[in-house]
Amino acid sequence: MRTRDTNKEDVVKQKAIEMLVKYGIEGFGMNRLAKESGVSVATLYIYYTDKDDLIKKIGTEIGQAFFSEMIKDFSPTMSFKEGLRKQWENRARFALKNPLKVACWEALSHSSYRDSLLEESLAEFKSAMWHFIENAFERKELLPISIEVFWSVAYGPLYALLRFENEGKSFNGMPFKLTQEKMDEAFELVIKALTP
Amino acid sequence: MENTQNILVFATNIRTNNDKQLISQTLNEISEIHQWNIDQEDIDCVLRIVSKTLSEEQIINIVKRHNFNCTPLD
Repeated sequence: MRTRDTNKEDVVKQKAIEMLVKYGIEGFGMNRLAKESGVSVATLYIYYTDKDDLIKKIGTEIGQAFFSEMIKDFSPTMSFKEGLRKQWENRARFALKNPLKVACWEALSHSSYRDSLLEESLAEFKSAMWHFIENAFERKELLPISIEVFWSVAYGPLYALLRFENEGKSFNGMPFKLTQEKMDEAFELVIKALTP
Repeated sequence: MENTQNILVFATNIRTNNDKQLISQTLNEISEIHQWNIDQEDIDCVLRIVSKTLSEEQIINIVKRHNFNCTPLD
């Protein structure tokens, strides 16, 4: 009789995420995953119907963890500055704690899996963020700009800093550490740029 | 969640879409098979069957009748 072992399943998930980051979706295979996580191919197929199913389930799980972390202690009724600061904190915390998951999410959300993953994970988060931005417009706390420009200016600097932090160095191999001061400095500039 | 005791997995040589069509009619018609799929991206073309009643042997016989290989995966 084959039973489901949740420890084993966690190992499989962890390995799958590592392999998706390392080899990409094309280079990822069930046989290889079974070998690297020390389970039989049969066990893997007990958990997942096929490669597609596995990638979708793992992607959705990461997406849900990611988005539920993002709306932690966040409310769409917050003032624009307060709400955006919370978004920065939440996004930075998740990215620093889960660099592999974030890399995997990046890879999957730029693939053909994008639509099915976003649909599964995103609904609640999307609605909260829309309300937040609409409120900011209404209160005239945010310049009337397109959503793409908003996103780029609001989060671009944060993700650039997080990338330096992940690599541990900046230009010419200079060591880099993301401190609270640097975060605050960048955040204030973002607020300056986005508010009337 | 599927009950894992009811899942049977086999290595096969059901490799092409044509192959799949040949076997799919049969598998679809068997009411004891709750759900099935073949991972044709996998080197073993893994056939996965969800059935409460059918045994490994019965599945192997069904697949072999269509002149495909079918070996249980451990």
